[in-house]
Amino acid sequence: MARNTFRQDERLDEPFNFKHLLRASVYMKKYAGKMVFALIISALGGAIGLIAPRINQEALDVAIPNTDTRYLIELAIMLVGTIVISIILTTIRSRIMIKVSQGIIYDIRKDLFAHLQKLPFQYYDDRPHGKILIRVVNYVNSVSDMLSNGLINVILEIFNLIFIVAFMFSVDVQLALVVLCGVPVLAVFMLWIKNKQRKAWQAVSNKNSNLNAYLQENIVGARITQIFAREDYNAQVFAGLSSDCRNTWMTAVRYNNLVWPGIDTISVLVRAAIFLFGMVVFSTAEGGMKSVGVIVAISSYASRFWQPIMNLGNIFNNFINNIAYLERIFQTLDEPVTVDDAPDATEMPEIKGEVEFKNVDFSYEEGKPVLKNVSFKVKPGQSVALVGPTGAGKSTIVSLVSRFYNVGGGQVLIDGQDISKVTLHSLRSQMGIMLQDSFIFSGTIEDNIRYGKLDATMDEIRAASKIVCADAFISAMEDGYQSEVRERGTTLSQGQKQLISFARTLISDPKILVLDEATSSIDVQTERALQTGLNNMMKGRTTFIIAHRLSTIKNCDVIMYIDDGGIVETGTHEELLAKHGLYYHLYTSQMDEKGA
Amino acid sequence: MSKRFPKTKLQWLWENMEGKRFIFMLALLGTIVYNVLQLTVPFISSRLVDNFLTGADAAYNWANNRNFFFILLGIMVGATIFRTVVVYLDCMAYEHVSQSVLYRVRNFLYNKIQRQDMKFYSTYRTGDLMTRVTGDLDAVRHMVAWVIRVIIESFALYTSAMVYFFVMNWKLALCIMVLSPFIFAVIYMFRSKVRPMHAKLREKLAEMNTYAQENISGNRVVKAFAREEYEKDKFDKANTSYRDTNCETALVWVKFYPAIEGMASAMSIALLVIGGLFLIYSIGHPDNVQLTMGQFVAFSGLIWAIQNPMRMLGNIMNEFQRFSAAADKVMEIYYSEPEIVDAPDAIDHPGSFKGEVEFKNVSFMYSDGNLPVLKNISFTAKPGETVAIMGETGCGKTSLIHLIPRFYEPTGGEILIDGVNINRYKLEQLRKNIGLATQDVLLYSDTIEGNIAYGDPHITAEQVVKFARYSAASEFIAKMPEGYDTIVGERGVGLSGGQKQRISLARALAIEPSILILDDTTSAVDMETEKQIQDSLRHLEFPCTKIIIAQRISTTKFADKIIILQHGEITEEGSHEELIAKGGYYCELVKLQTGEA
Repeated sequence: MARNTFRQDERLDEPFNFKHLLRASVYMKKYAGKMVFALIISALGGAIGLIAPRINQEALDVAIPNTDTRYLIELAIMLVGTIVISIILTTIRSRIMIKVSQGIIYDIRKDLFAHLQKLPFQYYDDRPHGKILIRVVNYVNSVSDMLSNGLINVILEIFNLIFIVAFMFSVDVQLALVVLCGVPVLAVFMLWIKNKQRKAWQAVSNKNSNLNAYLQENIVGARITQIFAREDYNAQVFAGLSSDCRNTWMTAVRYNNLVWPGIDTISVLVRAAIFLFGMVVFSTAEGGMKSVGVIVAISSYASRFWQPIMNLGNIFNNFINNIAYLERIFQTLDEPVTVDDAPDATEMPEIKGEVEFKNVDFSYEEGKPVLKNVSFKVKPGQSVALVGPTGAGKSTIVSLVSRFYNVGGGQVLIDGQDISKVTLHSLRSQMGIMLQDSFIFSGTIEDNIRYGKLDATMDEIRAASKIVCADAFISAMEDGYQSEVRERGTTLSQGQKQLISFARTLISDPKILVLDEATSSIDVQTERALQTGLNNMMKGRTTFIIAHRLSTIKNCDVIMYIDDGGIVETGTHEELLAKHGLYYHLYTSQMDEKGA
Repeated sequence: MSKRFPKTKLQWLWENMEGKRFIFMLALLGTIVYNVLQLTVPFISSRLVDNFLTGADAAYNWANNRNFFFILLGIMVGATIFRTVVVYLDCMAYEHVSQSVLYRVRNFLYNKIQRQDMKFYSTYRTGDLMTRVTGDLDAVRHMVAWVIRVIIESFALYTSAMVYFFVMNWKLALCIMVLSPFIFAVIYMFRSKVRPMHAKLREKLAEMNTYAQENISGNRVVKAFAREEYEKDKFDKANTSYRDTNCETALVWVKFYPAIEGMASAMSIALLVIGGLFLIYSIGHPDNVQLTMGQFVAFSGLIWAIQNPMRMLGNIMNEFQRFSAAADKVMEIYYSEPEIVDAPDAIDHPGSFKGEVEFKNVSFMYSDGNLPVLKNISFTAKPGETVAIMGETGCGKTSLIHLIPRFYEPTGGEILIDGVNINRYKLEQLRKNIGLATQDVLLYSDTIEGNIAYGDPHITAEQVVKFARYSAASEFIAKMPEGYDTIVGERGVGLSGGQKQRISLARALAIEPSILILDDTTSAVDMETEKQIQDSLRHLEFPCTKIIIAQRISTTKFADKIIILQHGEITEEGSHEELIAKGGYYCELVKLQTGEA
């Protein structure tokens, strides 16, 4: 799959259908009882609402002509009663529906986030992070009302409509048919609008996503922007994206805003038609016009007929608009989890530390193999160094040990157990992996170290920090371990971040340790001090080390020289030197410096 | 809570409507027009019914005045169509204005954010800034597109209906109107309750945004530690608390709803009772008619035009508070000023520098720190020279080089380029002359070519290849299936550390800077490649002063000058040979890296 950037829209060619709504019903099912209850209450409230005009009618027809003040007051008290009941019912419905709609958002967001945790690196590597973020936060917020109140209102309005149509037909079939003549016109109008609207809202969601992607990258990369003094150029790019958002939005709301006036126009035409047909057309055809009562009644029903239709039109607008978001959410939820527990996965027992690669093939992209038929075996407790040119596949090999990717062919075995047959959690929680990019979370330094072992005590944290030589600089900070650090904070140097991330790995007490350029930003002095701690750490643990400084690795039990997707040389430092091969060449080139 | 800004929120909105104010005023007028029309159409159709159906002389009119019937019918249809056209144009006008405001403020904010100094970036979290530019700004848009329209609409309806009522029967109108002030009082109470909720809600949203954002950015660490469950729990807390705050906020409205709805409905009751009594009185006193039946019907037919605006007030207040909470956050960025800016009398220096960099007794301390990071630093790098800086982790190396492009201001002393204090140059011109490859490599999700050409988007493809060759990157790039058109993921995740560093170096070289600063840029590069890089750096085809932070002796030994930094102070300074002869820290380093072979 091609990678996506902020410039490209994420294509999603799918015809509009209500399948998404059907699927969303999974989220509503949980609240079905509450929603039905709210529906009944609303219907009840609607019915009570019908009493009020009757009371007014009674006052006008009976109480007032008879100058019966007492009866008037009684009627007023009845009116108060209906209002009180209706307020109570509305309050109950609101209370229920607030819970339901917020519950639905919460559930969708929770699922989405949980699914994102399962998605492989590839997913995150292939698209700007801002595009993922907008789905979790902004899109989910948008769809909640549609799935809760939207649905209830649709049902209510449809009931309303059915009642009114039934009443109309019971009054006069001919005029009722005149009223209904407006419906096909409306249907054609809505169908036309629907297709336009859907495309338009998809475009809006795409453009917003692009903008979000660009924004996020530029906030994170502000330093780069500034050092290259590219602010003006970026501002232009951003203005372009911003303008795309504005233009697509204006197109989309154009259709939205047509719906209401469209329905309104059709409705007034229908009312004019009632007068016209009732008084002119039918009068000549059948001798004698429709009775006054019939025309007044139908005309009042007609206006009540169009009210729910207008409301439905509004809800419809909302649906179309939000389905563009809903489908993005489902698209993310449908993203295949390529690295997942096998259906019959077992727990990885406590790892002793034997690691074996059996004819492993791997490629990130089809037809571009990164590893070809790699086989090796590491005994428990051994330390293995991987050396070789950048991009040779060293990081890939260690990524496969923790199953960050699935192998393309062959097997990776730990203690003789194929790692694709055990649960990811039981596997990875026993491994300590230090990556090149030492990511620090917002929070205190203590929190960041504790990430490796959630129940670590302060003493453990301090002890781990001491071993990795981080305690000194942390203690020197004003708030010590309580110092707040930021994701891209400047308070810590890159080397300090690596030390913290080292402590984080150490405290997790891993059975297999993977150090991927873990010390590249640490100065040689500190690294040397660190070495003692590291040696202790490596004792009894199978360790994989990728490093360019050969001083770091020459004491390893096994050194593998990786190039061109395979292991070219294997052996101890002395063995490889004696071989006078690639490692020898590499080593001597580094040692040349001695003579300088 | 509310911060002091140079302008009030509404003034600020008005300012950002510049160029669209006329359309906006037209839109406000349009709202009044269609609301008045909304009251007239029912009036016409009631005339129709009165004159031709139910009235006393309906039959006579029908027989003799049929043209008038068609005219009324025509007016009814015509007025409605006219009204719908007005509604459509009016809504579009609001959308147009609100989108213009959004566009303008969004671009402005973006520009503000990207020009902020580093202090700003260590204060605001990415997720929080994102919330301000997206969610908060949307609340501002909503204010212009919808809230203001509804306010005008309610006002227009209420006023025109009231005028109509007063003209018809001022006594009854007054009796109904007395209830309005009470609703205002309740709304005011509602405001004070809901206001803090919106501020809180907004915080919760930003918090959730931040969690999600960091989780996505840190997805590798999460997986490495198998912390998915922990992350889910953490996010769940934010999600739950956002949900609960949302519910709480909505419940404030539910609490006030009975009072507001009750008072709005009381108008109906007042109409029934007082109107009814007036009617009964009038029947008893035909000589002193207080209210006619027709007036009573007209009142009950239009009472919604008084009630609905009252009901809407709560909603309006709610939305207004949402806007207010969001606008606070937006305006905070809008009016924020970076501390590091061009001096008012900055000198104009559009061309390249010669490249002499001089530190004179420079000291530095982070504003949020308590310890000096750099103490009394003085050294000079002559044009074309290479100066290497070495020292322990956290000794202040990176802080030192960050002072050169003015990411921070020194707290003492001065930094000169070509003999001029850097704070006298224009920031842009200063930075355009500096090529910096940072330690923490940030690439963009873009093609490799786009990343290398970041500093100068107009350079040719040949030049891109040339600079990639300088940084020993051309070989691995050429091996990629799509070569320079390969899209690298955010932060260059598809690449190894060494590859990223080399692209970042090519990017810094591509602007042909007169001062090149490398912050441990080759730490993840293998020795062989590093040698190539050092070699090409020594033979650059443009004049360039190089300041290089490095750990490896291989990088530093050819430097004209090596500076050893310890605890923020220069402890050793000299050439490779001189420092070895001196037998200090550097000598130790050399032994450490090579001697133990």
